[in-house]
Amino acid sequence: MAREILSGDGGERGLALDPRTKLLLVFTVSVVLTAGGYGGAMDYARPALAAAPFALLLLSRRWGSAALYSAAYMFLYCAEMFLVPLTYGIVNFFILATCGMFSRFMPGLVMGHFLVTTTTASQFMAAMSRMRVPAKVTVPLSVMFRFFPTVGEECSAINDAMRMRGVSLAGGRPLVMLEYRLVPMMVCGVKIGEELSAAALTRGFGAPVCRTNIRKVGFHAQDAAAILLCLFGIAAYIGWLAR
Amino acid sequence: MDAKLNAKDLINVGLYTAIYFVVVFAVAMVGYIPVFIPLLSVLVPLIAGIPFMLFLTKVRKFGMALLMLTLYGIIRALFGGVWELLMAVVCGLISELILRASRYGSVKMAVLAYGAASVTIFGNYIPIYISRDAYYARIIEGGMGLEYGDALMRFMPDWSAPALLVSCFVFGILGGLLGKAVLKKHFTRAGIA
Repeated sequence: MAREILSGDGGERGLALDPRTKLLLVFTVSVVLTAGGYGGAMDYARPALAAAPFALLLLSRRWGSAALYSAAYMFLYCAEMFLVPLTYGIVNFFILATCGMFSRFMPGLVMGHFLVTTTTASQFMAAMSRMRVPAKVTVPLSVMFRFFPTVGEECSAINDAMRMRGVSLAGGRPLVMLEYRLVPMMVCGVKIGEELSAAALTRGFGAPVCRTNIRKVGFHAQDAAAILLCLFGIAAYIGWLAR
Repeated sequence: MDAKLNAKDLINVGLYTAIYFVVVFAVAMVGYIPVFIPLLSVLVPLIAGIPFMLFLTKVRKFGMALLMLTLYGIIRALFGGVWELLMAVVCGLISELILRASRYGSVKMAVLAYGAASVTIFGNYIPIYISRDAYYARIIEGGMGLEYGDALMRFMPDWSAPALLVSCFVFGILGGLLGKAVLKKHFTRAGIA
């Protein structure tokens, strides 16, 4: 397991977007899809925004994630189309609520996944310092972005270990289950944190000087296209709110 | 003691915010069953107390708790929870002031500070109370179904607002005590906290 300190896995494959554009995309996709409804321009904005993470994953050549996302989305969509009219009562309620919730939340989460996995900490810091965000905010934020995928990895590893020991929801002792998962997770967190801060200090993170950055960040044609899509989504959402 | 936050402090803030966010998010997932939505004001403060209390053992300077909650709020705002950002900043400030009053040394005050911090969760409920009809319409149109919307409205009457607010705080205190117990059991012995 590669734990490169304060630098994601490069993310230089294929299309390069500015980190600020990616942040705007996460915000737009999740807000418009979770809070917005249907009708008018929303009928165009919703599919366009739901397709955005898929297109970006393809363009950055993450075939596996793209296939998984599209398969899951198709499945939810089909379930909503075909299973809902067939069922009734409590089953109908669960299918509708599950499909409704996941099909609205998933694009935003996948977009967040895209942001986290394709942005290096350096790029992120460079973009943030361009926006004059103080280091007090950018340092913890970039640590967080770096750390989210690690939390996921650790969680699934701990989950496997605990299942092997028979500590699961089926055991009927929810508190024990919780304790045996959270505590190892936090111990890992503390250890990783110590490594991270040692590495960062070695790289002169705490030095009282202005950091320079060799990453070039800036807006290009692809950013303009993505921003236009976001503006369209937001406009459709505002139109829907004001109708 | 150096009063300014150094690189290690900032990294700790980032780390614990990530753990806190993941725990809150995982617990909040049960909210897709409507009866659990009001119960989130019990479950989230209770369970998230464990990572938060561990975080508070690292807090020795002004600004860390406030910064953590603000970052949590920013991430929530990114996913559409603007009210929660507002609550996070206010509760973060209160929590920070409680910690400062005890000079960052008292466990009892840390539990109280976590209780104040937990009120942040109430931010999730604000849209339901201040714009009930719009919220209802959004759920139905958004594809969650009529039954989900009706059930949610039934479980969240207007009078429940103060009850949920108090519940966030009270279960925050209990969560802080739970966190304290877990720390004592696992981390103090291992020399981490």
